Amino acid sequence: MKNTALITGASEGLGKSFAIEMAKKGIDLVLVALPESGLPHLANYLRQNFDCQVFCIEIDLTLPHSAAAVFDRLDVHQLSVNILINNAGLGNWSWFEEKSIDFYRAQIDLNITNTVMLTRLFLHHINKHLPNYILNVGSLGGHFIVPKKQVYGATKSFVGYFTRCLQMELIGTNVHVSLLSPGGINTKPELLVMNNNLKGFAKATILEADVVAREAIEGLFKMRKEIIPGFANRLLLIIDKLIPAFLKELIIRRNLRAVLSV
Amino acid sequence: MIEAGYNKYIKVLVTGASGFIGRKLCLTLAEMGYQVVGLCRNINHPFLIQHRNIQFIKGDVMDELSLQKAMKDCTGVYHTAAMAKMWCRNEQDFYDINVVGTRNVLECALNLGVNRVVHTSTCGVWGPTLNLPVAEDDPRAVGFPISYERTKYLAELEVRNYVKKGLDVVIVNPSRVYGDGPITDSNTVSKMVTGYIKGTWHFIPGKGTQVANYVFVDDVVNGQISAMQNGLIGERYILGGEDVSFNGFFKTLRELTGKKRRLYKVPLKLIKAYSVIEHFKSKLFGLTPFFLPEFADRLKFNQQYNSGKAIKELNYRITPFAVGLSKTIHHFQKNT
Repeated sequence: MKNTALITGASEGLGKSFAIEMAKKGIDLVLVALPESGLPHLANYLRQNFDCQVFCIEIDLTLPHSAAAVFDRLDVHQLSVNILINNAGLGNWSWFEEKSIDFYRAQIDLNITNTVMLTRLFLHHINKHLPNYILNVGSLGGHFIVPKKQVYGATKSFVGYFTRCLQMELIGTNVHVSLLSPGGINTKPELLVMNNNLKGFAKATILEADVVAREAIEGLFKMRKEIIPGFANRLLLIIDKLIPAFLKELIIRRNLRAVLSV
Repeated sequence: MIEAGYNKYIKVLVTGASGFIGRKLCLTLAEMGYQVVGLCRNINHPFLIQHRNIQFIKGDVMDELSLQKAMKDCTGVYHTAAMAKMWCRNEQDFYDINVVGTRNVLECALNLGVNRVVHTSTCGVWGPTLNLPVAEDDPRAVGFPISYERTKYLAELEVRNYVKKGLDVVIVNPSRVYGDGPITDSNTVSKMVTGYIKGTWHFIPGKGTQVANYVFVDDVVNGQISAMQNGLIGERYILGGEDVSFNGFFKTLRELTGKKRRLYKVPLKLIKAYSVIEHFKSKLFGLTPFFLPEFADRLKFNQQYNSGKAIKELNYRITPFAVGLSKTIHHFQKNT
């Protein structure tokens, strides 16, 4: 059977890179993204340039029935997928009181609720006699306490916990689950401006989306439990494990003061 | 050339008047009878072409007052000023000149009620080709490690913003530009051609099969002028030329110059290693690097672009590579 991957948040950033890297491997695609996000252009580009079929679903995944609607669409078109990439997510870089309650609801619905529901529906959808893969996009931030990322980091910690649990539950089955924990990625234009100003080690932790996607897909097919792209990021995690908690808090507070004084 | 009369008293601004494209654009517009205002930081710059229809105004895209002065009474603006080098000492210059500079030009044009701005971008906003030549609606397939490409992409986002605010802007995206003109840091093709003629250029990257798209400078100028007249608001147009491999490039050079030079094929891994040394050299000592890692990585990819949209909608024409290159060689042989 030919592999088919369902990728959420596929029109931009890391999701787009997942789509391109999968297409390069000749894997068929079901791409999910918001309406008016340029998805049909991307789909056309992939169909023309690579040997793969591409099916588009334009839908807002923060709405309550969207996850079910995605799999309904697959059934209607008699499509089956065996790879799920839970990539769609909403980030923030702001003090807690700066964002509205609606923003946090949408963020939690997209990053948590939607990931859980799609995974649940995927496990029901697949043929468990054949190999299946799930890639959940967490964040290196899920390992650290990062101020101004309070809700985002918490949702990614959720994804981490959820993924590790599933990995245990699914031992001995044909379903493999990987957790991707990337550091900073040059994706959105706003980030391009922000990351433009970084220097030294901080710059080394920022990777290009295509590099992250390539490492992630390679790790997924090698059935790695957690994928941390980039040497600097792996180093960061090791250092983090070695430093005692009180020292870490001190470092974060000092840096926070620098942020506050700007 | 007989100067056309029907464009008399139509005033247009060209930013970056001393640039590789800007200087020829000024001349062509002047020959067409337009009253051209050329904005440049140094009005005695040796690359400027003098013409009685061109008035050079000292200014800078970072200086809003100079922009207002230069843009006064202009019906159209050609924005070609950019930091187009591979490397500059202060990395922030790329952002300031390409993004903030573009924003300044657009803001000024909006305030002064300019009819149309033609923004000169680059095919670098798409970057490498994965399989088929890239067209306007295609997505970018890789990240933005190259500062020039990143900031030119951000400049396009500024343009989109101003189109929403009601400003009429058309974007043109030239590919790798070559032609008669000064040999500058931003023009690698001129360096390869003059280096080959002089016998100082000795290498071909990798197997020489990497393909890039080369556009003759006169075609770019015609495309820009046509975009001003016939382009659709907010649209982008690739102004490309022929797709040529390095091997093809040097083969054509050999045939046209009649000079046989020994060229060595340098493995990409060696180029990458050398570029890393150059990178540290520039970081540690602030010396101008000959080559950088992000460009070495790019040598793995083709860069092919499809000019079909401009051909159809702008009546754009491509000068065959051999013809354009022969004109370029003539120019260098006459001027060295």
